[in-house]
Amino acid sequence: MGESDTYHIRPNHQQKFRPAVVKECIREIVREQLSGVQYNPEEVLELTRSLADSVKDKVKNSGFDKYKLVVQVVIGEQRGQGVKMSSRCFWDADTDSYAEDVFMNASSILVPRSLPGLCPEAVLTPCLHS
Amino acid sequence: ITSSTCLEVLQRLVVFNPDEISVSVKECVEGVIGGTDYNQSKVNQWTASIVEHSLTHLVKQGRPFKYIVNCTIMQKSGAGLHTANSCYWDTATDGSCTVRWENRTMYCVVSVFAVAVAL
Repeated sequence: MGESDTYHIRPNHQQKFRPAVVKECIREIVREQLSGVQYNPEEVLELTRSLADSVKDKVKNSGFDKYKLVVQVVIGEQRGQGVKMSSRCFWDADTDSYAEDVFMNASSILVPRSLPGLCPEAVLTPCLHS
Repeated sequence: ITSSTCLEVLQRLVVFNPDEISVSVKECVEGVIGGTDYNQSKVNQWTASIVEHSLTHLVKQGRPFKYIVNCTIMQKSGAGLHTANSCYWDTATDGSCTVRWENRTMYCVVSVFAVAVAL
């Protein structure tokens, strides 16, 4: 009598999170916004935020709109200091995953990480040494 | 027990509570690097420890959340470090918190993201 609704709890094959696709999205945005840019303490705050938003929007529109996303961007100035970043996550390994990219130029190191999944994921970090 | 008390208790269990998490993460950090100076050869195990302990502590609370814990340790040298997060999730149930800690020789920044699991 009534209609039965179908709810998808897990992503089907087409919609499964693809780290390679997301990594490419991240790389494009980073190249667009960061080529030739020097570390500038006044502008970097806004730059970090806008990068995070751009990456999130681009990944969302690349076919992962059913996923929750967490995007984290870290920009550091290169002055010879040591930096180490680590992450761990507690998620559903069947559906959740992450992608990351590292960008370096003479003045800064940028690590944008995108964690999508029905739940966001943690990105496992690379070790950034100066 | 009134229905509003019940609701309060349920909310405390199911809704992300950044203050509680902040306190327990700070304790984890203090426990691992409190009183030490930046040491290149130890920093790997420090970040791994901080992240493991924090995550274990969060999971032990038994709440219906998926977690992502991230820790950055940076030597103090006058260089700048900025992080930003952008999230696409359910703002009613999901949340994040960032804990900043420093001593004479290093900075430590820990971010925790919690995403509610459908029950």
